[in-house]
Amino acid sequence: MNNPKVQFDKTLIEARQSNQPQLIVDLIPYSSFIGANAQIDHDDIVYWLDRRSSNIGNPSLPAIHGGVIGGFLELCASIELMFHSEVIQPPKVIDFSVDYLRPGRYKTIYASCEVLRQGKKLVNVSASAWQDDSGLPIATARCHFLLQ
Amino acid sequence: MNLKLALFKPMLKLAMERTGHGAALGFEITRIGFGEVDLVFPYKAETVGNPLTGVVHGGVIVSLLDTCCGSAAITMLNSSAVTPTMDLRLDYMHAAKPFEPIYVSAKVYKNTSNVIFCRGSAWQDDPDNPIAHCIANFIRVETSSVSLGAIVKRRVGRLMRRKNQQGSGPDE
Repeated sequence: MNNPKVQFDKTLIEARQSNQPQLIVDLIPYSSFIGANAQIDHDDIVYWLDRRSSNIGNPSLPAIHGGVIGGFLELCASIELMFHSEVIQPPKVIDFSVDYLRPGRYKTIYASCEVLRQGKKLVNVSASAWQDDSGLPIATARCHFLLQ
Repeated sequence: MNLKLALFKPMLKLAMERTGHGAALGFEITRIGFGEVDLVFPYKAETVGNPLTGVVHGGVIVSLLDTCCGSAAITMLNSSAVTPTMDLRLDYMHAAKPFEPIYVSAKVYKNTSNVIFCRGSAWQDDPDNPIAHCIANFIRVETSSVSLGAIVKRRVGRLMRRKNQQGSGPDE
């Protein structure tokens, strides 16, 4: 019962069945380190990153750290994959690329992901982050995962 | 230039290690040279990405490499300018080992009037067998808001405001 792997699998299945991606978010310690959350909105998952001072990169603007935005998008992409497919462990990232389009202001960041292709071995996921308007993204990313 | 770099090194180290996300991660910058920066990140349980293995999340590697490459880019500036990241691409060669520190180094390999091109890598045992490798490009934006004078002026202004608020505090 206390086997972490059994517990992990159980939570993954429960999250999918009850439509609660937040359960998967809570499995990963890094999520609470940066303040990431997830919720279902019209069949899609919307992710958001809490406004907190430990995510600031440039205190004089202030702006959110580019690495946090990148890390958040990578986290979102892996949760999207764990929620929508049958993978039973955190997927392995092969490569990750992020384009910064606008500065991340010191307020909540939202994100959404899309699995563009899922093969037997390789999955390509794209992710986009915005603040006020989803039409004005602050960053976009794409991520390749290897399925084991 | 040498005097400037000597003054600039502790400022950059302080700004990166003690504020915001740098302070939250708790890494230490071990070397700052002209276009080259090294840092070390001690293992931190809060940043784990895979609870089954205890390996840190890829997002931490993104933050470390972005910080390291960004710092290397800043050392190339000789005027009042900032260098926001344009893009960053990361290749993960193998999984990091849990409970062990991660070493990161970054180097500017081309510096132009508008763009600064950087390479970075993260490793544990052997620099020739990295966990991850990245390329990050930074755009040079000239601005007067980051000149030493402007920063001192802002700091003093903030201090004065705080003092005034404290002075009128008990009456409110």
